[in-house]
Order: sequence, then structure tokens, then C-alpha cells
Amino acid sequence: MTSGIEALLWMAILTGMGKTELGGFGRESYLAYALWGNFIGRVTANWMYEYMMMEDIETGRVNSILVRPISFFEFYLSQFIGYKGLILLSSIVFPIVTCSLFGAPVIWSRLPLMILGLFYYLIFCHLVSFTVASMAFYLNKAHAFTMIKNMALWIFSGELIPLDLFPEPLKSWIISLPFASAVYLPVGYVIGRVDFVTWRQGLMSVTIGILVMSVVAQQIWSRGVRQYTGTGA
Amino acid sequence: MDIVIKTDGLYRDFKTYRRADGGWNALKGFFNRTYETRHALLPTTLSVPSGQVIGLVGANGAGKTTLLKILSGLIYPSGGSVEVLGFKPWERKSEFLRQISILLGQKAQLWFDLPAADSFSLLAEIYGLDLKMARSRWQTLAERLGCQDQLHIQLRRLSLGERMKMEIIGSLLHQPRILFLDEPTIGLDVLAQNTIRTFLFEYVRDHQPTIILTSHYMDDISSLADRLLLIGQGRMVYDGTVAGFTGFAKQNLQVDLGREDVDFEEVIHRFLQKELGSAQASRTVTT
Repeated sequence: MTSGIEALLWMAILTGMGKTELGGFGRESYLAYALWGNFIGRVTANWMYEYMMMEDIETGRVNSILVRPISFFEFYLSQFIGYKGLILLSSIVFPIVTCSLFGAPVIWSRLPLMILGLFYYLIFCHLVSFTVASMAFYLNKAHAFTMIKNMALWIFSGELIPLDLFPEPLKSWIISLPFASAVYLPVGYVIGRVDFVTWRQGLMSVTIGILVMSVVAQQIWSRGVRQYTGTGA
Repeated sequence: MDIVIKTDGLYRDFKTYRRADGGWNALKGFFNRTYETRHALLPTTLSVPSGQVIGLVGANGAGKTTLLKILSGLIYPSGGSVEVLGFKPWERKSEFLRQISILLGQKAQLWFDLPAADSFSLLAEIYGLDLKMARSRWQTLAERLGCQDQLHIQLRRLSLGERMKMEIIGSLLHQPRILFLDEPTIGLDVLAQNTIRTFLFEYVRDHQPTIILTSHYMDDISSLADRLLLIGQGRMVYDGTVAGFTGFAKQNLQVDLGREDVDFEEVIHRFLQKELGSAQASRTVTT
């Protein structure tokens, strides 16, 4: 539904402007972007497990993990990756079929590598969620951060509009952030809007993001656990 | 005999903040907070040999659960030293966590949406147990607790007593050397209480784990514990045998600790007055 509305919007924009291209890309490219962007955006977004982690900390259910030989991070990472894997498997048919039907450009040989890259990004995504959820040790209504974070990601990931439509230097700056690997880079790579080198640079940026967020998450979590009272924050 | 739990001057304070009611005061609280410190556990020195079953008794807010949470690594102490099986509990090393178990009677630790058997499979995976062996273990434990028919029902659909039995199985699945039981019979009917008591009695007899058990029911303590620790307002006030204390309470305080509605804080208060006198109330009595 959202993909359909978005595709129609791009068509209307191009028709209204009296052009066949926008930012160097034609209507088929925007159709493919809308179809893949919404699908991949759902795969790389995380609010459900983030909310569950927060709930666990707020209610004291985290106790059941803290006293067992498994880390809270690992426990939820395994569930998150498993869940996203299932979502991906069960719903990838939609963009594949619709792109084939409408003749939207897709480089099929790039699909496996793009999916691998997505799973790599999910590690970063979980680290961000884990950090946000750890705020529940300090604040009662940490859920507000999830909404702010997801709103920001909607823009910075390229789900709202392709990041190459932003003016310079904003465009280069946003694309260099790890969030671009959530939607813009994988979608761009698979529909031919982004080349391999740019996509690979995105993964490098995700790697740096993982390293930075690991330190931040570790700090917030360990300080939180230190002041935790075992009954919920 | 090995000493498995050792504390020296162990204490825990909780810092809370107090604010007046109303929206304006809530706003002011962001910038100017009045904190106060509550001493949940006063300096406690304790030594527990392997295989001993300890009954930890006290009124609500006396510090029982705080002590258990520190010993199991759930919370950090504010000061003093503590060693459990040679580990600092709050470091939560995997080797340590594989040898202990804590059951909090008022908090579910299994997964509510899963049948207990699935939760046990997950626990077997977490503890690195052989699934076949773990399955036979949970089936044996379920038979002894009389709940083998509920193993494949979603946990949220079970009664409180049945859920508690499943929690007990979950906490024993990896055969912990030390078991912390925080009010395992709370809120249960007499029949369920007796089943759990009998089960724990037999389990202790067969496996000889070290247990620290807290309960409001003196029956739990008297049927299981070798040693009684009485705690009042964060302070250990009695360390001795169960028989010693119940006899003393009956004879000198005219209190029957077998009754369910005993106000332990009142008993402790009267005990202290009788035995020590209020001026010396900070000392621990050992018999």
C-alpha cells in the first residue's frame, strides 16, 4: 500500500514537472526505489525488540537474563536476527514480483550480496536499539527515544526520499553515515542507482558505527546495571 | 566443609528522591532534587558452608531479597566484600552463573508465551546442557511435583501454583550448587505449599545443594532449614538453629511461629528487647 502511494507520488511529481527524469533517474527507477525501499525499510527498522528490551528493564524481567549465562545483548540479537530473517524470506516475493511485473530496473545478480549487507547492518541496528533501551535504567519513559530515533532514521536512511536528491554537501554527509546502509545504499545498489564501491563504503561506515556504538552501548549498559535495583528501574 | 558464601561488612544503600506532588513540583524536580538514602542492608558478615540450608526470615522490607539479589549477582553491593563459590557475584561470570540459581517468587523468570517445556529447552541451550538429558531431568522433576500434564501448556494459562512449580523446575534444570529461593510458596494454597515443601525436602536430601530460602511461612523454614537467620530493618539479629529460635519464641515471647499471620518485625522487636535490650540492638545473637 505504502509502496503504491509512494510510487504514484513520484509519478505525479515527474508528470507535474513535465520531465521524464529527476536527479538523473527515470520513473522506472523511482518505481523500483519505492517498491524496494519500503520493503527493506521494514526489514531494517527496529522498534518491537527495542520496546521489549525496555519493558524488560522497566519491569525487572531483565532479572531472568542477568542471572543466566547469556548476555542480554546476545539474547535479543539472536531473536532479532531470526525474526528479520523470517520477514525477509516471507516478504521478498513482493518487490521481486512487482518489479518484474512493471519492468522496473533490478540487477538480480546483486541481490544476494545486498541481503548479506542488510544482515550486517542489522547488527549495527541492534546495537543502536540496545543503547536506546538501556536508557530505561535511568528514565521511566525511555520509549520517547524510540520514536525520535525512528523519525530521524526515516530521513537519514533514505526511506522517505533517495539520499542523492539532497543538495551538496548534505548529500555526501548523509550518505557517509551508517544509516544510509539501512535503505538508500542497499536499494540503490540492487536497482543500479549506486555502484559497488559506494555500497562497499557504506559497509565500512557500518563497521565504524558498530565499533563506536559498541563502546557507547557498553558504557550506558554497565552504568545502568550498576545502579539497577532488581525490581525494575 | 567448604565455605561457599562469604561476606564481610556487606551492605547496600538505595538512593531515592522525594518530591512534593503536583505538576509544578515535578518540573522543579528536574533541576533540584532532594535525595535520601535508605539502608536496605546494614553491614553483614556471613559464612555459609556447602550443603547448608539457610532460612532467611524477616518482615517486608527487612533486607532479605536485597541480600539474595547481591549474592546472586543481580545487584551491586554499596560496600563490604562478598564471595560466592570464589566469585564476585556482580561480575556475573558465566562459570559462576552456571552454578547458581535464583527463584524470585514474585517475578516470573520463564517465558510467559511459551509452554514450560519450550522454556526448558531454551534454558538447556543457554546452560549448554545435553537436550536429551535435560528433557529426562525436567520430566523427572515434573513428575515429582505432579505437574507433568502441564508441561506443554502456555505458561500464561497455568494457575499460580502450577507456574511456581514450573519456575522451580526451570531453576533446578542445570543442577545448581547454590539455590536462592525468595518466597517460593508466596500466595499459594496450602496444598501447593505442601507439595513444594515436600519436593524441596526430597531434593535437598538427594542432591545436597546449598540453599538460602526466604519465606514468610515458618513451616517452609522449619521443614527445610538447618540454620535460621533473622533479619530486621537491614540488620542480622539472630543466627542459630530453627528449633532454638522457635523454642525461645514460644517460651519467652509467647509467640507460636507456626501460625501464618506472625508479624516477624514485631517478633524481632520483642526478641531484641528481651535478649539484648534496646541499647544493644545492633549486635547479632548467635546460638
